Amino acid sequence: MILALIGLAVGVLLGVICPVTVPLAYSKLLSVALLASLDSVFGGFRSAMENKFDNTVFISGFFVNALLAAFLVYVGDYLSIDLYYVALLAFGLRIFQNLAIIRRYFLKKY
Amino acid sequence: MISFKQGHISIAFVCMVLGFMFALQFRATLEQKASLPYQRVEELSARLLQTEKERDLLQGKIDELQNSPGSLAEVRAIQELRLRSGAAAAEGPGVVVTIDDSKTTAKAGENQNLYIIHDDDLLKVINELRAAGAEALSVNGQRLLGTSEIRCAGPTLSVNNVRSAPPYEIRAIGDPSTLEGALKMRGGVAETLKVWGIQMDIRTSDNLQVPAYKGSFQFKYAKAVRPQEVTP
Repeated sequence: MILALIGLAVGVLLGVICPVTVPLAYSKLLSVALLASLDSVFGGFRSAMENKFDNTVFISGFFVNALLAAFLVYVGDYLSIDLYYVALLAFGLRIFQNLAIIRRYFLKKY
Repeated sequence: MISFKQGHISIAFVCMVLGFMFALQFRATLEQKASLPYQRVEELSARLLQTEKERDLLQGKIDELQNSPGSLAEVRAIQELRLRSGAAAAEGPGVVVTIDDSKTTAKAGENQNLYIIHDDDLLKVINELRAAGAEALSVNGQRLLGTSEIRCAGPTLSVNNVRSAPPYEIRAIGDPSTLEGALKMRGGVAETLKVWGIQMDIRTSDNLQVPAYKGSFQFKYAKAVRPQEVTP
């Protein structure tokens, strides 16, 4: 747990220091990818509470979900299908669902 | 506390990637918010710079054309023509005549129009000045040309299609005493206008500026005739 927090802090620091900036056109993709990875993290948290946490599933889900979401939005842009909002909705819904389940576990535990 | 059974390092790595993405997205959003008005400013300043460059270029062209080499006689002829046509500002001794509406109010039953300045009053003054040898004239900053009109436009007067309201300031370059005398002579314009209480102030000056004509010269119908084509 501590290691995860340290990793997060290091990541934020890297992102602040790193001179890389996302072009305006791709900031949409990054936001979808970010949401997808957030969803994966909450999903992983939930599975950890359920004692079903699988490292491979978590890590593969994290990257594949993020990349696929970004890719789909990118392709959708060219087909004039605005998948951006769909992705936002789907991932947002799942995040809130996971949060509710996590909350219930906490309530049961303590 | 929750414990992940395996892969501490990989989870830390995932968290690091997540934090990195967070920071990146945060910065991108900040930048996006800041950059939109900034882009507009940059675009406008670029356009301003370009327009200024264009203006300087055109100004340079004008200077170049005006100073283009010609014989001295040619240059002098052009300068004289510019002065005569009103394309060049003129200066010299002359008079400044300021005319304003009458301050006396019309008596009952009297025509109020008699107490205000009309286009023909101004025309009379200008005609008198011209007769006295005025070389350059302007009314309220409008140079009088051969084509200038002096016309009643409601409560104002229109000169060179520019309207102006009283008081009218007529500048005339010529011999100051002659010009002044022409206006003030017995039975002259000044005396006639005085009857109606119209205020007329004549001031002589040694160095008077008469502005150049600001409009453009366009001849739609008239064409210059070459000297040899003139039939007697």
